[in-house]
Amino acid sequence: MPRAVRGVLIECDPSVKAIILKYDEERHDYVVEDLDDDRHLVIKESQVQNLKARLGKELDEKVMQPDESESE
Amino acid sequence: MAAASSRSFEYLEGLPGTVFYKLYQQPATALAIFRRMLPDLAKCFVMALLYLKDPLPAVDLEAWVKPESLRERDNSLSILGRLHILANTTISNNVRAYMVTNPFATSLRQALTGTEQTQPFGVLSNVPETDLISVSDLDEYARRQWEGVLGYMVGTSGLGIQRDANLSKGVKQLLQAGHLVEIRDRRPEITKDGFAFVLQDVNTQVWHILILYVESAEAIGMDSVEVLSFLFLLSSLELGRSYEKKHLTSNQLRTLTDLADFGIVYQESPDASHFYPTRLATTLTSDSSALTNPISGSLSGPTGAGAASKAGSGFIIIETNYRLYAYTSSPLQISLIALFTTLKYRFPNLITGKISRQSIRRAIEMGITADQIISYLTTHAHPQMRKHNASKNASSMGVPPSILPPTVVDQIRLWQLERDRVKATPGFLFKDFVSLAEYEAPCRYAEEIGVLLWKSDRRRMFFVTRHEQVAAFLRRK
Repeated sequence: MPRAVRGVLIECDPSVKAIILKYDEERHDYVVEDLDDDRHLVIKESQVQNLKARLGKELDEKVMQPDESESE
Repeated sequence: MAAASSRSFEYLEGLPGTVFYKLYQQPATALAIFRRMLPDLAKCFVMALLYLKDPLPAVDLEAWVKPESLRERDNSLSILGRLHILANTTISNNVRAYMVTNPFATSLRQALTGTEQTQPFGVLSNVPETDLISVSDLDEYARRQWEGVLGYMVGTSGLGIQRDANLSKGVKQLLQAGHLVEIRDRRPEITKDGFAFVLQDVNTQVWHILILYVESAEAIGMDSVEVLSFLFLLSSLELGRSYEKKHLTSNQLRTLTDLADFGIVYQESPDASHFYPTRLATTLTSDSSALTNPISGSLSGPTGAGAASKAGSGFIIIETNYRLYAYTSSPLQISLIALFTTLKYRFPNLITGKISRQSIRRAIEMGITADQIISYLTTHAHPQMRKHNASKNASSMGVPPSILPPTVVDQIRLWQLERDRVKATPGFLFKDFVSLAEYEAPCRYAEEIGVLLWKSDRRRMFFVTRHEQVAAFLRRK
């Protein structure tokens, strides 16, 4: 019997998806369904804000940025 | 119809018919709506029907419009219907006919030809010529108050620039209630809506504020219809004249005091016996623009006329290396620019700064979008930048001229995209289909009704934005 599950479809880069899956391994509280391609997965609606904040923070730390010094 | 009034139009349109009935009792309201909210063709219809005793058959009215202008005709008729000005009736032999509704018709006739009723457009007070406040003083007052409001929103005080506009608590609460600012750490911070608001032209801003005011008036027990019709009355007053207050109701007096905080009306003190409408009020329902002094003039947003007429007002130069120079001494403009720029030096008539990844991200975290920033910069670009790019673009015909350096525009957008690494869409995942056939039919159905976002034939799953119709489809089988 088919079922419908409420959730939020996330579209992202494979790298970002890997990070989300890593988060989920800790307590299994993000992912509703891993959609088995590189760019999509369904997560819980309640976790979207949390996930975005966490991702933003993590990517800020990890992604290399060109030198931002304000010197002329 | 002027774009500036679209918000007020949307608001009015949402009101129930009974409100219109009460509003249209006032000649000033009927005239204001007639002047401001109607397209020209609709005005023609109203004027033609206004003095007719009997409803006009629809066929006759429709014959006035050339066949190639059917869209304009239908648009006008639909606007008139939505504002409850024109009514559909049937006369003998089931012929469809139009007529102007009452009390709109009566009120408009009164507004045009006068009435026995004393003064539908306010009572002039007998202030001696010498004591009258001059128009330029009123403009100055309106400008100061209005800039005070905008300055509060963008946080001029945060820059250490002291402003002398004394904003009342009511003003601040209204801005918060309208989600134009948010209070964080006891300091106001501009929101996305607020930034869009600041970029609009003054007339649109005033309407925006007034609609917020009318909405909030209901919450504190004032009759919104009374407030609204008072606003329309104000809009029909004459600039530079003073008006008696003693005929006003207590609610209207209260409104008057609140509006004085915004600079929409002026009174020497809350207890004065008369008041003056400022240019902000008198241009509410006319097409002429409010406040044309250099600073507010340059504030008028991208809704205005073409670039040619605004060419004189630009003051920002951006170089391809992201350096920004702004020839301004206005604290308001400086703090606006500071929202998305790292400022470096300040001279008496010039500030310099740099648009950087950090400064753009800071702005985006506050909810300002890249497009808003770009449109602000474009609107206020220095004439020299327009000239430079006009000559450059003359050779490459067909490409829309961009005033800002393309690298900067692209980079601002890229910096915003960097924030959005994931795209999240709430919805429903359908799964556990037994056979491929069972999966395919609802999936195709979801695609047809345009709710399908993602599907996987292999795993027999699909994701939709709305489930009701798909679920109903499954049940039907």
